[in-house]
Order: sequence, then C-alpha cells, then structure tokens
Amino acid sequence: MIKPTADDALLVRKRDLKNNYYSITFKPFTSAKKCKPGHFIQLQIPKTDIFFRRPMSIASVSSDGDIEVIFNVVGRGTKLLANLEKNDTVNILGPLGSSFSNPKKNEEVVIIAGGVGFPPLMYFATELVKSKFPAKQIHFFYGGRSKDDILEKSRIKKLGLNFYPITEDGTFGEKGLVTKPVERFINENEKSKLRIYSCGPTGMLKAANEIGKKYNIPGELSLEAPMPCGVGICLGCIVELEKGGHARVCAEGPVFQIGEVKL
Amino acid sequence: MKPNLSVSIAGVDFANPIMTASGCCGYGEELAVIFPLSKLGALVTKSITLKPRLGHPSPRTAETSSGMLNAIGLANVGIDKFVTDKIPFLEKQKTKIIVNVAGSKLAEYIEVCARLNDFERVDMIELNISCPNVDEGGMEFGADPKMTEKSISEVKKVFSRPVIAKLSPNVTSIVEIAKAAEQGGADAFSVINSLVGTAIDIETWQTKITNNKGGLTGPAIKPVALQMVNAVYSKCSLPIIGIGGIQSAADVIEFLLCGATAVQVGTALFIQPDLPVTIEKELKAYMKRKKLNSIDELIGKVRKY
Ligand SMILES: Cc1cc2nc3c(=O)[nH]c(=O)nc-3n(C[C@H](O)[C@H](O)[C@H](O)COP(=O)(O)OP(=O)(O)OC[C@H]3O[C@@H](n4cnc5c(N)ncnc54)[C@H](O)[C@@H]3O)c2cc1C
Ligand SMILES: Cc1cc2nc3c(=O)[nH]c(=O)nc-3n(C[C@H](O)[C@H](O)[C@H](O)COP(=O)(O)O)c2cc1C
Ligand code: FES
Repeated sequence: MIKPTADDALLVRKRDLKNNYYSITFKPFTSAKKCKPGHFIQLQIPKTDIFFRRPMSIASVSSDGDIEVIFNVVGRGTKLLANLEKNDTVNILGPLGSSFSNPKKNEEVVIIAGGVGFPPLMYFATELVKSKFPAKQIHFFYGGRSKDDILEKSRIKKLGLNFYPITEDGTFGEKGLVTKPVERFINENEKSKLRIYSCGPTGMLKAANEIGKKYNIPGELSLEAPMPCGVGICLGCIVELEKGGHARVCAEGPVFQIGEVKL
Repeated sequence: MKPNLSVSIAGVDFANPIMTASGCCGYGEELAVIFPLSKLGALVTKSITLKPRLGHPSPRTAETSSGMLNAIGLANVGIDKFVTDKIPFLEKQKTKIIVNVAGSKLAEYIEVCARLNDFERVDMIELNISCPNVDEGGMEFGADPKMTEKSISEVKKVFSRPVIAKLSPNVTSIVEIAKAAEQGGADAFSVINSLVGTAIDIETWQTKITNNKGGLTGPAIKPVALQMVNAVYSKCSLPIIGIGGIQSAADVIEFLLCGATAVQVGTALFIQPDLPVTIEKELKAYMKRKKLNSIDELIGKVRKY
C-alpha cells in the first residue's frame, strides 16, 4: 500500500464531454508523483451532507501535479461533482488501490474499455506511450451504446495507437459488442504474445475474463464495488476469489488478474 | 503548562483518550501506513472469533443520512491466524492494543480469550456481547443481564488483564446490562455498539444490504450514544469508553463531559483515515484555551438543567 494523502485541491478545469460525462482537473494533488494507471482517488463532495467520499479512477496526471477524473452522472454525488465550478475546493484522498502491471516489450496490448472504465485505460495507454512502449503494439477496443458514449476520441487517436471504436447501434465504429472484434483480433494474432487489460461494465469484464481464460491469454481487470473507505479498513467492498475467500476491491484491487475473481 | 492528554483505565495507561473502534481499523496494518499508531491511545481490533469468518455476501454496507448501515457479518481471520499473522505486527506498535472478541457460544469466547492471555501485549480484551447466542436460541448475549454477567465472569477466569464489556444500545435498559457486567467483574464499559436499521432501494424494492438489516453507525447515532454514556456514568462506577458518531474533537469533548474517560472513533475513519491525529491536535488546543491541565477535569462535568 502506498501512503495516501488527504488534502484540499482546487478545481482548475471542467469540461462537459456531453451525454452526462464530465472531465474535471484538480491542482495541486499532493501525491501526484506517486500515481500509477489503475490507481483511484476518493473525492469528498463539498458543500453537502453526502456522507461517503466517491471513488474515481485517475484519468491523467500531468507533470506539474494536475489530476484529472472523467465521470458519468449517475446519482446525487456525481451530479454535485458535475455542478462544481472553477476554484471550488475538493478534498482528495489517494492514490489508492493496485495498479496495472506493465506488458513485456514484445507483447501486443489488448485494451478492452467501456463506459466509465475508459479513463484508467486511457491513462494506462498514455503512460505506456510516454515510456516509449511502441504505440503500434497497443490495440484499444472501446465499446459504448452509441457515438456519444465514446469519449475523448481525438485524445486517443493522438496517441498513435490502434483504435477500434465499437457501438451497439453502429453510429460510430463497428456495430455490436466489443467481444466479437476482440475475438477476431485474437484469432488473427499469435496468442502467446497478447496481454489483456479491461475495465468497464460487469458484462464486459465477464467477457474479457472468459476470453482470457478461453484463449489462455494473461491480463488484468479493474473492478468496481461500493466503497465506504477505499483504504482497506471497512471490509465493505469484497469480491469472491476463484481460489476461495474474499478480496477487498479497494486494497487487493481494483486491478485483479484474469481468472482470479468470481465475476 | 502543556495539557496532559493521558488517561488511565483499569490500571492501563493511555497516551491520550483517542482509540480506533473495532471493525473500523482492521488489525491496524492499513492505518499504520497512513499515520504512526503511536498517535493513538489504543487500537481496538476487528472482532476475533474462534474460527475464521468470511462474513455476509456483498453488498454489505449502505450509505444513509449522516451515517451508514453495515452487515459485514464479523468477517475476520480467526484466532489461529490472528495469533500467527497479526499479533507480531501489533506487538511492534507503540500504542495500547485492545483485542475485541466475539462468538456464537460462550465456550468460543472463553477459548479465544484464553489464547489471548498468553500475549502480554494484548493489554485488554473488549467483549462484543452484541452477538446472537446459538445456545440460547439466538438471543444476544448482551441483551440478557444473566448471560452478560456469566460471559464476563467466565472470561475473567481465563484472561488475567482487564476486560471491557462493549454494550449494545439495542436493549430495554442499558444501565441494567451495565450493572450485570459490573457484577460479572468487568473492568470498564464501551458504550455503544451499533444500532439496528435497514434501507431500501425504491426502484427495485430490494433491501440495500444482503443481510436485510445492519448496524447503523456514524454521526446519526451520536445523540443516542451520548445519552447512554451519561446514563451508565450516572448509575455505575466503572470507567467508560464512549463510542458513536465521533468526527471531531468537539464530539470527543461532549463524550468526556457525559462521563467517558476515553473514546473510540469508528465510521469517521472511512472518510478521514488520519482523523485521530487531527482530533488530538484540536483537543490539545481546546484544553489550552479552557486552561485545563488534564482530561480528568472534563470527565462527567456536563452541566444539566
Ligand atoms: C475504484 C473505482 C473507480 C471508479 N472510477 C470511476 C470513474 O472513473 N468514472 C466514473 O464515472 N465512475 C467511477 N466509479 C463509479 C463511481 O464511484 C460511482 O458512479 C459514484 O460513486 C456514484 O455516486 P453518486 O452519488 O452519483 O451515486 P449514488 O446516488 O450513490 O448511486 C447512484 C447509482 O450508482 C450506483 N453506484 C454507487 N456507487 C457505485 C460504485 N462504486 N460502483 C458502481 N455503482 C455504484 C448505485 O448503486 C446507484 O444505482 C468508480 C468506482 C470505483 C469503485
Ligand atoms: C463496518 C463496521 C464494522 C464493525 N465491526 C465491528 C466488530 O467487528 N465488532 C464490534 O464490536 N463492533 C463493530 N463495529 C461497531 C463499531 O466498533 C462502533 O461501535 C460503532 O461503529 C459506533 O461508532 P461510530 O459511529 O464511530 O462508527 C463496526 C462498525 C462498522 C461501521
Ligand atoms: S472500501 Fe473499505 S475495505 Fe474497501
């Protein structure tokens, strides 16, 4: 466990990504330098009686300590977050949880992203490219219901990786679910050189887990659970492990190995 | 003069009156990464049972107004693993260690407490008597004065250091139970454990936690806890550790004024894991401002109409 900090940060940038998605950036985040892709933070919603913090994956960290989250408005807390304005103060606890491990140099990275599972994977791909991992070895499959669910298209394209958008209604990219193009890609490539990284809705995680097991491809999944604390002390965020017993999504996770968790 | 925050309960000396509550700080490992545990008066472990327990399935917590519901179901590593994996870590910590013990039969409490007696660094045991007693048809140990008295006196026979009775608020008269615990030989009281509540999702009509009901904790229960601390303080003579909804030094002071000698911080750690450090600072500042030299000058000093 990395020692997290809990400090106030200023909202320095807010972007409306349409369709109830927002990007907000805070500064300064004391522990910015310690953040790795897959880590999350706990945001305390200001000016409300909302009791718990809200967990959000880190979407990017800049060299001068800005930290970005991208989120969907689903309830009271995220609605209030979306209503924050520039210079509002938010207390941020983090970085928390486990992070994605790096692929081997010669591996092809298969990213399977969906919905609000997209931000940590964009952060992961960005850091890989920054670390000189060849962008052409990164395959970014990004699924959504419709065109407006595929966020930050130009930002992903700018990374120079292979981008495969997929929408259920066919309004952007290939029509259907991500599973089909992912399996097609796997079958066209040398399976022993692939590594999967996935974060998204439960259905997508289940599919990624099954695909990994079926083709014997290693990889990692980032999970969600209701999180009262986020630091491993309440035991409220457990998942069942295949080997038996429980793991805490906030502490042993949110990043787990394919085949490790009962989904 | 620098205010002195130290307190003493049943012959055990604490650097300050601030402890972390059972089930809200694991076995201390995570909090130790966040702040030095020497900042605490004591750490109270998660309830330990004879056998390991996985607890209830997820979801087992829900957010409520000014608090939360939990039905973790006493998930813990069990006494064997606690002894081999957790005690070596706890022994190294420069704070007092209180091990909370739970069970579904009296014999289980006794066995766990007897094992803990071998570890000098287990300074005290806190008995969680808010557990259903399988031998008595599931009635809580702590809901029946006779059962309360008996469990404390049996544990006292096998554990040579002080035993704290952690009282449940879910009884007709907490004072009656406190007196029974005193009769059984308890050395102190922890007041209170969680209340009982539920919450429902109106879209699905489903209860929000798998156990259907759970323990209500957090600031929502503080007024109940304060009243119960004061009721026990007025009628019994043992020292009290006040628990329930503490989020600040101001809350701690209220508990001390109502008669608590020390306090435990629980749910609030989930939002601010290093809260005890802040509380200690604020408490010192308050004592300076009020020209108080010791915590004793606050205990039970509430002025009533
Ligand atoms: C490690 C982690 C990383 C996350 N990263 C992101 C992210 O990058 N972007 C993003 O938009 N969201 C993310 N989430 C989900 C986000 O935390 C929830 O959407 C948010 O807490 C909902 O708060 P609310 O007050 O708006 O909703 P509430 O009013 O609390 O709930 C509204 C609805 O959301 C559901 N919900 C609440 N909390 C969660 C949760 N933790 N997981 C799943 N469903 C939940 C509730 O069951 C309910 O149906 C993440 C969650 C975790 C655990
Ligand atoms: C998630 C959670 C788990 C708990 N587990 C235990 C436990 O194992 N044993 C116990 O005696 N009390 C347990 N408690 C009760 C607390 O120790 C404390 O009495 C109660 O939460 C009230 O304090 P608070 O309002 O500060 O949280 C638990 C509370 C919470 C929130
Ligand atoms: S959220 Fe508390 S243990 Fe994971």
